[in-house]
Amino acid sequence: MRTWGLALALSACLPTSACVQTRQFADVQFTPPQGDYRLLVLRPDVSVGSLTTGGMVEPRADWTDQARANIIAALQAQQGQRGGKLQILERRNQLTGASEQEVADFERLFYAVGNSIVIHKYSGDYLPTKRGKGLEYTLGEDAVRLGQKTGYDYALFLHAEDSVASGGRIALGVLGLAGCIVGFCAPNIGGASQLDYAGLVDLKTGEVVWFNVVQAGSQVPGIAFGDLRTPAGATQMVDRLLNRMKPGLAVRRAAEKS
Amino acid sequence: MNRYLARLAILALGAVGLSACSSLGAGEYGYSSYALVRVHRVNVGDQSLSVVPPRPWNRHRSFLWSDVRDVEDWTLNGPYLDGISFVSGLKSGAYLIRQSKRADQQVPKFRSDMTPPEIVAMLETLYRVKGGAVDFRTLSLQPRPFLGTNGFQLDYEHLDSDELWRRGRAVGAVINGQLYLILYDAARSHYYAAALPDFESIVGSAQLRR
Amino acid sequence: MCGRCAALSRRSLLVGGGVAAASFGTGLAQARILPQEMVPLVGAGFKPTDKDEQGIWQLMDRAEEEISGSNLLIQDPQLTGYLRDLIGHVGGPAAKDFRIYLAHIPDFNAMMFPTGFAVVFSGLLLRMRNEAQLAGVIAHESGHFLRRHMIRSWRDQRRKTDIFSIAAMAAGVGGAAGGVYLGDYVQLAQLGTILSLFQYSRTMEAEADAMGAKLIAQAGYAPIEMANIWQQLIGEEDASARYRRKRRRRGSLFDTHPSSQSRMIDLRADAADVTEPGRAYETGRERYLSKIAGIRPTLLDDQVKLNDPGATQYLIETLAQDGWNGLLRFYEGEVWRLRNRNGDDVRAGQSYAAAVAYPDAPADAWRWHGITLMKAGRTAEAKTALTRYLTMKPDASDAAWVRQTIG
Repeated sequence: MRTWGLALALSACLPTSACVQTRQFADVQFTPPQGDYRLLVLRPDVSVGSLTTGGMVEPRADWTDQARANIIAALQAQQGQRGGKLQILERRNQLTGASEQEVADFERLFYAVGNSIVIHKYSGDYLPTKRGKGLEYTLGEDAVRLGQKTGYDYALFLHAEDSVASGGRIALGVLGLAGCIVGFCAPNIGGASQLDYAGLVDLKTGEVVWFNVVQAGSQVPGIAFGDLRTPAGATQMVDRLLNRMKPGLAVRRAAEKS
Repeated sequence: MNRYLARLAILALGAVGLSACSSLGAGEYGYSSYALVRVHRVNVGDQSLSVVPPRPWNRHRSFLWSDVRDVEDWTLNGPYLDGISFVSGLKSGAYLIRQSKRADQQVPKFRSDMTPPEIVAMLETLYRVKGGAVDFRTLSLQPRPFLGTNGFQLDYEHLDSDELWRRGRAVGAVINGQLYLILYDAARSHYYAAALPDFESIVGSAQLRR
Repeated sequence: MCGRCAALSRRSLLVGGGVAAASFGTGLAQARILPQEMVPLVGAGFKPTDKDEQGIWQLMDRAEEEISGSNLLIQDPQLTGYLRDLIGHVGGPAAKDFRIYLAHIPDFNAMMFPTGFAVVFSGLLLRMRNEAQLAGVIAHESGHFLRRHMIRSWRDQRRKTDIFSIAAMAAGVGGAAGGVYLGDYVQLAQLGTILSLFQYSRTMEAEADAMGAKLIAQAGYAPIEMANIWQQLIGEEDASARYRRKRRRRGSLFDTHPSSQSRMIDLRADAADVTEPGRAYETGRERYLSKIAGIRPTLLDDQVKLNDPGATQYLIETLAQDGWNGLLRFYEGEVWRLRNRNGDDVRAGQSYAAAVAYPDAPADAWRWHGITLMKAGRTAEAKTALTRYLTMKPDASDAAWVRQTIG
């Protein structure tokens, strides 16, 4: 019974056309990192699966490996342009200066904070005290301590989830609510769909200074959309997520005045 | 019946409001389930208790499934990170939350002859059965005056299914056979300490309305 | 109260709605699967070659990383060592390399992942009466592994959904149906997907049962104990449902699991099949009880605090078949106290009074005994009991309140 209720509720949010949205929230004082900064990218959470005809997402190891490799390459290229040193953490025990448990706790706190950001900044259930104030979320003293122990200035959390229509799906060309019912949701089912988000934590203050969600969906199966399995698609996603970091409100206003 | 329909309508509107270009659209406009609490004296719960917050907070508007009238929830950063709950005038035989009478695992009802350890046990079961807590530890239970009578203060910690440790403090008393409780619960990392002064200020300001 | 309660319900995460492998569902009977026909389909060092299976294994590795780093694990080396020995013993040809994790979750459940690790919930340890039963559950899980049920189930589901049968899809949603929608931006979303794969068909459950019986018999455990697990479980569910004035869910044509009743019947026949005449079988009861003695108070505590009086009472009475003691009388009291119906405070008081007569009564028994006496107006006796409590636990968390009460 509950799945039907859920399906009905979700049916209210079907997209009406091919749309790419990216919405960023930044701390009002945020200036995108420049110069010689050290960036830690935590366990990029990447998965690419095949949308079967019936709408199930079939995880594909080869595609996921490809996508992860492409994202990492795109990240390194992009960060190389901006300057700065980059470490991409694949496993929790790879960070010198911090234990596995500390990395795990860090990730879990970010998960709670990130979830709160998505719910209260993106999904419409806003908190009146935070309205219009940019991003006012922090990971606190533990994040600062982690930064001090490991020597990093920023931590980037990355989640990229894509599903690509398999041959069967394209043939059928049916839109459905598949995926949403299976415990995780590919919100724009149709052809390819993407839900990616990134959050940047300033380890000197512990604050989440920047957060971005990218959601792209093609209504018509068969139209490829920033396919993460290709280097071009991965670059596009990284570009949408990171390259367009806009400075925070206060910084922009100061720049306008001068 | 009319109240039920009205709430259903509000809920439907809320769902429609969220559609736009899938779930990213709504941002900070439209209808939110939170309302602003300004810095002045407000009545909470069943309105028999009033408090003053030291800075603006967010009050969760009750909906179909969470409306025990005597309970009200506030938050600063969202319920995953912190929250203050007010229990005012909970009568003997009532429950803290709505639950099915036929559910296998249930939160016990409040009884007016409960001693503080029994109230603590009721809260612990609430966290374990409804809150997804896998581990719950009472850190301390001590007497504390509250609302002009002998009350108690409970400090506790719990581990939830999202792998996050949270810490809490509850101050309460049984007055005329009814439970009055102010409970503060937040992520142990940073968030608990950050708003604890707010909680203490709110508890200090609490008054019973005549 | 509890604004995030729905989202964080334990049931929505690791438990996956309780539909994971060793699940006690309902269903109609069908022809029994014979243990002698059950042979392992994988051996040591198995690695998948099919793309879909490789994809699933990748998710499994990520799941194992999450689980092994989880705060929800019980890390007691004695217990985990014991479980590891057990799985090596009955897990089949590849079992020496298996990992086994014990999660601090008071539900009766266990699951095995095809990459060779198992997760056992602490609620299982409370309900198993001897080593043979615990081995039986582990062997059952290994059966799913050895017969490659996960990938078969996945492919079945895939086929069904390709036929675009909504009903099949709805039946195949496993964890999500039992739990709560977590949202696609959740890191553990992968785990949710994985758990939704644990929707084994009736045939597969029956296969795992048969294989399990065979494995434990080979290892020298009395195979009838596997049937006894289901008998105990039926008793518990009946008691729980009876208390809530419901009927325990029985089988229907559309259920995908065999009913507890039919499993018990089939396992009795399986036990007869695999028993070699003249061979001595053991239950390992003493060994099991001594191994879990240390954790048993915690297990009882977790169970009691769920406030499911029918089930908890049944479990306590089952444990008491080995003899009542202070611990069990204390928890019996706790059941009444939390149940909190009219007259339960009196019942609880009687149990606490009985508990403190035993030498092994826990400190908390003295505290509740004292509070009961206090509420009955027997102040002097109450003070004695509460003082005794403080002597046993001078740094108890509620010492401040108790001291003020004693005056």
